Amino acid sequence: MLENQAGTSREKPLSLVLLLCPFLIFWAFFWFIPLTGSLVQSLERSPQLSEDLDSSKASKSVNYEIAIGDSKFIKSIENTSLFVGFTVVISLFLGFFLASVLFTFSKILRGVFLFILLIPSLALPGTLATLFYLFFHGKSGVLNQFLMVPLGFEPVNWMMDPTWILPCLIFQAVWRWTGLVTLLLYCGMRAIPSWQFEVALIEGASSWSKIRTIVYPGVKHLLFFAGIFLFVDGVAAFTGAYNLLGGSGGVLDAGLLFVTYAYQVAFPGGAGRYDLSLASAMCVIVATFTVLVCWFGIYFYKQQHSQTC
Amino acid sequence: MLRVLFSRIGLGLLLLVCAYPFLWMFLSSFKTNREIYTPENFLPTSFDPFAYRLLFSGDFIDFYEVLARSILLSGGQAILACLISSALGFALAKGRFRGKSILTGFALLVILYPKQAMSLSLFEWMASVGMTGRSYGLLLSGVASGLGVIFFTQVFRKIPDELMDLSRVEGESLFGSFLNFLPLVKPALVTYCILHFLLCWQDHLLPLLVLGADQLTLPLALAKLADSSYRIPEAVGLAASVLAMIPLLFLFGFFFRQIRTALSDWVIS
Repeated sequence: MLENQAGTSREKPLSLVLLLCPFLIFWAFFWFIPLTGSLVQSLERSPQLSEDLDSSKASKSVNYEIAIGDSKFIKSIENTSLFVGFTVVISLFLGFFLASVLFTFSKILRGVFLFILLIPSLALPGTLATLFYLFFHGKSGVLNQFLMVPLGFEPVNWMMDPTWILPCLIFQAVWRWTGLVTLLLYCGMRAIPSWQFEVALIEGASSWSKIRTIVYPGVKHLLFFAGIFLFVDGVAAFTGAYNLLGGSGGVLDAGLLFVTYAYQVAFPGGAGRYDLSLASAMCVIVATFTVLVCWFGIYFYKQQHSQTC
Repeated sequence: MLRVLFSRIGLGLLLLVCAYPFLWMFLSSFKTNREIYTPENFLPTSFDPFAYRLLFSGDFIDFYEVLARSILLSGGQAILACLISSALGFALAKGRFRGKSILTGFALLVILYPKQAMSLSLFEWMASVGMTGRSYGLLLSGVASGLGVIFFTQVFRKIPDELMDLSRVEGESLFGSFLNFLPLVKPALVTYCILHFLLCWQDHLLPLLVLGADQLTLPLALAKLADSSYRIPEAVGLAASVLAMIPLLFLFGFFFRQIRTALSDWVIS
């Protein structure tokens, strides 16, 4: 009876309209149309081209050709790749380590520690940048006073030395996200059934083998989810670098991230030319690549998961 | 034993890195520039709240207005995003209709396509329809949340199908069932609302593009206060940073247990 009444019937159209349409309307208006606009614009001649090149020779893909041939764009992609790679790996490693260590404390202390770890995630990226500049940076900053000088090194001018600009940005991103990753992984570890640990205890399993056979498989899907989130957020990183480097790429463009460069191309200061078409082409290249990497990542993860199941 | 000791030392150091700079920030909001530039000096010489007075005096920015705008924008967007994504999430989890995988794909694309890479084209589109310089345009631009849809789809999948069948037998439509089931997922609603609030609160590029120069949100105000060309005392920027953290500390502190519960339930699903 229940099957007949509830099992096969389709939904009432009005119900579906009420549930689906709000999202679809906003999705179309604020995502799909701008995205289409971006694609169209990236195929249009940029103002730079109309002045510098013979317009009859310019093909539809000319903005893409300029972008790929632009050494600053390539530099920004290299920087962004390093930034994303290190941020994802370090944040996931630290998050996993912290979530595991938290379980050695009482419940109340776990809550307190988790909350403290979350504090940087709750701060505005601009606050993190200001704090980095005032607290960690500088000759008398904490990094030099408590790290470099005690280890016998000369104080480093972190934001003026091209070697250190990108590590500083990575530090800032890791500092920001580790707390949230820890919270997510902690919740995942809490959800692992306790009988698995009891069996491991009876079997006399070492801590390492418990991590390898119980904890890691229990939170693998969350590590993957957090990795994708950090990857996309890293590609789109803007505020930290913007605040720390004042909208520039820093010395020798050592801290030039992709979004900062796209912003510079679209809205250059001084006598620069507004080149939204070229900026659109750059955004399309990077965003498409990001989507494809994530999509393949999800596809292979699912395949691997179904094989192991 | 040694391993536990080292892990605890590691945790202690990371806790220090997470907490100490913010404590220093709070104390430095009472310091002069000279004191701030020597970060090893922990305490200010006096607890004179001159920076807070300057901040609220309106000489540099109208901080009341900035704070109100940020709260309204982030709060409004979070509530709308929560309602809209939970509705679609419910339909995807419990509805019977074709095209579910396409809708899930739409939501996934929103997550995977970097938001900042969309900002330039979104700005152009909003300018062409006259939505730039208006707070409501910025508010509405972020309500279609892919993350929210995926989150709520998982949340509603946990509701037993028997309850859904019962609701159908009683003649409830899918929309009616959604309204009935909403109280069952209150922790998830609160959690997502707070997470979306956090992400919107921290957004910088789109407000920079879409809002007018006199319509600052907190990230823009902080960037302005930190701009050396305005010669504003550092303590004023730090005071603004302290105040910008209070709403989020309050939200996370007050709902922390609920957030942990909701996330634990979500990760199981």
